[in-house]
Amino acid sequence: MSDSNTRFKVFTGGPLEVTGHFRVADAAGKIIENEGPVYLCRCGGSSRKPYCDGTHKRNGFAG
Amino acid sequence: MSDPRNRQYTNGEITVFWVPSKCIHATTCFRELIEVFNPGRRPWINMEGAPTRRITEVVNKCPTQAIVWKNNEELTPEELAQQHVAARNEVTPETLTEEIEKTERPERVKPTNVRIMKDGPIVVEGKFRILDGDDHELKPTLMTSFCRCGGSKSQPYCDGSHRKLAFSDQIVDE
Repeated sequence: MSDSNTRFKVFTGGPLEVTGHFRVADAAGKIIENEGPVYLCRCGGSSRKPYCDGTHKRNGFAG
Repeated sequence: MSDPRNRQYTNGEITVFWVPSKCIHATTCFRELIEVFNPGRRPWINMEGAPTRRITEVVNKCPTQAIVWKNNEELTPEELAQQHVAARNEVTPETLTEEIEKTERPERVKPTNVRIMKDGPIVVEGKFRILDGDDHELKPTLMTSFCRCGGSKSQPYCDGSHRKLAFSDQIVDE
């Protein structure tokens, strides 16, 4: 598995950072991103879902 | 057992039933017992990988009942018939090779697939690494689901909480 350069970094209390060789598709299967870094919302509160907009700093997300 | 994708696996003592349509990739099974539940291998459930008690313990934790188990004495005649079909289908080397080609080869050239599920988690398939905030490597897998609703009790992974919380992608103005 070490031959892949795709990396997901889970920021404590913050977003999911995606870098490397990947593609992101929405629920309909449409490719919305294919290069990084991409920051995806983990707190559930972003107004720019699926992307992070910094809301985790204000809603007390600790995960 | 009408969905043709459904599978069953036995160790002679119990049978584990797999219903793909119910799976939300909570990843509980393979995070707990990769020796038995390994999405990167075919067949993906290896009933010889752990003692029966350990298998039933983990199967009971599946949040959606995509995997359930039964004692072999309790199988219905229909399930028993399936058992023989399953056994025949899975031991042939041809099928195995085909499955391995399908599941492993494309991943060497294809990008890692990241899917944003509607009102649900981020599902990742392929080869990738996961790091925590301090750059410690988390256990590698071939498939995982990251929580997107903020409510999971097994962060950073999905545990199905988005359903209970009625998490929605719709943006609500405050």
